[in-house]
Amino acid sequence: MRSRMFKKLALVAGVVAMAAGCSSYSRTDKAQTQISFGSSVARKGLWREAAFRFERAVQQEPNNARAHNNLAVALEAEGEFARALAEYKRALELDSGDSYIRRNYARFAEFYTSYTRTTGKASGGP
Amino acid sequence: MVALRSASRRAGALVLLALLAALPVSAGVAQVKLKLPLKPRLPLRGNEKIALAPFVIATEAEKARDKRLQNVDLQAEFQRFLKKQIEKKTKLEIVELPTDLKLPTQNLSELGRSTEFWRALGTQTGAEIVVSGSLEFRVEDRSGYKTEEYVSPIDGRTYYRQVYVEQTGFLFDIVFLVFDGRSGEKILQDEFKDFRQTGGRRADELQGLFENLFSLENQILNLFVARDRDAERYIFTD
Repeated sequence: MRSRMFKKLALVAGVVAMAAGCSSYSRTDKAQTQISFGSSVARKGLWREAAFRFERAVQQEPNNARAHNNLAVALEAEGEFARALAEYKRALELDSGDSYIRRNYARFAEFYTSYTRTTGKASGGP
Repeated sequence: MVALRSASRRAGALVLLALLAALPVSAGVAQVKLKLPLKPRLPLRGNEKIALAPFVIATEAEKARDKRLQNVDLQAEFQRFLKKQIEKKTKLEIVELPTDLKLPTQNLSELGRSTEFWRALGTQTGAEIVVSGSLEFRVEDRSGYKTEEYVSPIDGRTYYRQVYVEQTGFLFDIVFLVFDGRSGEKILQDEFKDFRQTGGRRADELQGLFENLFSLENQILNLFVARDRDAERYIFTD
């Protein structure tokens, strides 16, 4: 009898906890929420959706270096290299000490230099 | 009593599991793999008729002196490789050229300006694009003494010693010239280089050539069709 009650309690607690976890995605007014959701879809390869989310995060917090970095990565994945460059630069301006942003930018710069050398112009540029 | 305790433990474990499942994805940074889309260098529809003209062999004069270059028919091997790649990985239609076709000059700059020649070739064969350029392939003996770190098993100290290392280097340099078959105008010029080094003094030159070619394959094909390139980046997860 008691064991059944415990099981029921456990289930209820689980459902409540899950709902609490999911509810963070519904607070879309927060940049952090957008980054969190965007990164989860990015890891599934849904880069268009991720770019949309990171764009929203940048709108909500224009001085968030992490949002600019993530947006740059998503734009790269979409082939919008010129815009990605601008976003990486902005991310570095905001947080030049972040090793992940610096590493991303270095790798992108290497790729982008060879890309523009061969194409003569930036893809996705104005 | 014992049964009740074990049931409560199980329930506790269940609650813990449920809470863990509900936790957001681990905070911080995640590494992601990207496939960077590379647009084709040439503004093509994709199904054009293409002619592969001979290339100027930049190392032709050295062939008489270098025995190892004599073993490689660079023109034939490269043409075969390029034809196969275009047939396999693009929708371009390769048109055959006369087997006795001779280039008007062996000078690359002059070749790029031979508008009349390329227009005539395009008209004669129906090719909308004509590809030519120059090829350079060198086999270099890179053997020599190199400094190596050595930890002595007797006193455990680090010493430096000179060791003789046998290596062969393969250098490949292609300049592509792409012409409009209707106007004869040059529409693109590009250069790709690759260097490979392998162990052993007598590494096979033909194998070295293909090592070079396969490493340049993506870049060569990207002239004609969209390609992608693997990359890794970091994204923040919170």
